[in-house]
Amino acid sequence: MPHIVSKLLVLSLFAVVNTAQALTIFTCEPEWAALSQSLAPEAKVFSATHVYQDPHYIEARPSLISKLAKADIAICSGAGLESGWLPALQKRASNRQVTDGADGMLYLAPFIETIGQHETKFFSTEHVHPEGNPHFHLDPERVSILAEVITQRLQLIDPDSQEQYQQTLIQWKKNWQNSIQSWQQQASQLKGQPVVVQHTSFDYLIDWVGMEVIADLEPAPGVPPTMAHAQSLVEDTRKSQPAAILTNWYQNDRAADWLSGKTGVQHLNLPATVDLKGEINNLERLFDHLLSQLQVAK
Amino acid sequence: MKRKAMVLVSTMLCSQATTVNALEIGVILDAYHKSESTALGGRTEGFGSSHSELSLSQEIADVATAHLALVGEWNEQESDLELEEAYLQSAALPGGINVTAGRFLADIGYLNATHSHSDNFSERPLLYRAFLGGHYYDDGVGVSWLAPTDRYWRLSAGAFTGDELGEEKSESSIGTWTLSTEFGDDIGDNASWQMGLSYLRNRTQSSAHHDEDDHDDDHDEHGHEGHSHGAEYQGKKLYLADLVWKWAPQGNNRQQQVKIAAEYAYVDDLYGAEVDHYDGWYLSGVYQFDENWATGIRHGRVNLAEEHEHDGDHEWEESRLTETSLMLSWQPTHTQRLRLEYKHQDADHMEGADNAITLHYQIGFGAHAAHSF
Repeated sequence: MPHIVSKLLVLSLFAVVNTAQALTIFTCEPEWAALSQSLAPEAKVFSATHVYQDPHYIEARPSLISKLAKADIAICSGAGLESGWLPALQKRASNRQVTDGADGMLYLAPFIETIGQHETKFFSTEHVHPEGNPHFHLDPERVSILAEVITQRLQLIDPDSQEQYQQTLIQWKKNWQNSIQSWQQQASQLKGQPVVVQHTSFDYLIDWVGMEVIADLEPAPGVPPTMAHAQSLVEDTRKSQPAAILTNWYQNDRAADWLSGKTGVQHLNLPATVDLKGEINNLERLFDHLLSQLQVAK
Repeated sequence: MKRKAMVLVSTMLCSQATTVNALEIGVILDAYHKSESTALGGRTEGFGSSHSELSLSQEIADVATAHLALVGEWNEQESDLELEEAYLQSAALPGGINVTAGRFLADIGYLNATHSHSDNFSERPLLYRAFLGGHYYDDGVGVSWLAPTDRYWRLSAGAFTGDELGEEKSESSIGTWTLSTEFGDDIGDNASWQMGLSYLRNRTQSSAHHDEDDHDDDHDEHGHEGHSHGAEYQGKKLYLADLVWKWAPQGNNRQQQVKIAAEYAYVDDLYGAEVDHYDGWYLSGVYQFDENWATGIRHGRVNLAEEHEHDGDHEWEESRLTETSLMLSWQPTHTQRLRLEYKHQDADHMEGADNAITLHYQIGFGAHAAHSF
């Protein structure tokens, strides 16, 4: 009997400690929700957006305000990706822990080097980010750096579990390095292959694999494809016979279908990030899926 | 190796914490042509610019945000420059509280606190034009509180000088005060909603019964001619109810969205007018059918009263104005919008009602504040 009591005591103590630990993590994009959940398995993680939504165009909905108001930490890509909606959420949520500059507001872009940075002019009508391409979760090496950044920040917010986060990170990195090795093998067979894209969603993966973007269906960054622009790509696409025309799940892919019909090049509609409610629900599965699809297309 | 990475990461952490956000400057240019002037304010006939805006925003040491908005209006009759916003807003106080002080848009109704450049139609609904002068901003202090509930629930209150509500200076130091509350949530993956209730107490004029004669004089002086910034139809109390529902397949509002909005306003204890109350409502539906195109319809009505002179006697007569707007808008890039709108008005005992076609172009440069729901 005393044995059981002591066991119960330990259990209840554990429960108390556990509730104290359970961080509430708000992420702007699902890729960071998946990564955070791997690095903090105990945490309650919520992603503001999902794979079928264009993360540039999200509305500051009441439900998102409530979620951000209760978060201990918010993890977002930054680089201007959320500038159309996150500031409105922060303003309404009035949560001191996740205002800009607070330890609980983690923008990831400043910790890595983004591609496609450029000067913007004030009187420009283009919708581009001077901070560079914010879709950097599709580079396995950058993800590896960001896993450390996230762990560091979790340790800062939740110092009682520092050791636990460290152990989880070490294990995660070991697995991730193994995965990278197998992805590198797949990538080596895709190297040098030309590809047509719509928006810069897959640029980091294309760079990492060593494929080459020969055309973009968007006439200017962020501007949806037009018929005239698609028409201008027909000849080049026919000539260079790229491996595929890539679109992602949240895009309108009429133009890609049309170009595919005109040129006989395969149209591949791929997820731009993890699908938390589906099968491709973590970054490992996402890279597996993307690389195998590209392999088949080739 | 691992230690090195850690050191690198921690120096980065430090460097990020010290970055200061720069001054954000934004410009919105508005240009239009309207075929006829219509009743109850809004845009005037001919070429013009109704709400061009220069805005400046600066974060002050993680404590507050300073915001300033200068709004210009030009048309064939007049030109005008107004300071519409000049306020400090706290950057999240403990307990979900926010404080705003200075000149700002009163937090009432669905549209009042939103900027008109994000509206779906080229003019505010009738009830805003009749009871709030299009949109009501003033000098004062506001407090809002977000309840720690799972479902979004927000309360807000404000106290203002009241000088900007009507054409006259307010008679008391707190000329108006407001109370409002809003709730909202998602319904599944495709839809979300928000509803709100607001109250505006107007103390800018003495009670209707005491100063009837006084007010009649004011009325004659100002009349209803030309452009007016103030609310033309006022009472001691204004009640507002609003409901918004939005739908987008999978929540991906970039591609497609349906937005239904409705508001109702009731004005009680009227100043001057010898009728029981004013009221008004509108219902609007907007369908954005791809990335670049949207179409919408809005129908609304206000029930008011007009003063007539009969053999030297002032008489009040109930009046009514209904308005239907149809619009088609094209957004070639994120920062530009071209809108074609047809408006039809019907009036009972009210002058100035007409039909009009408006072509409206808008372009934004620089920093662009994130929009609310």
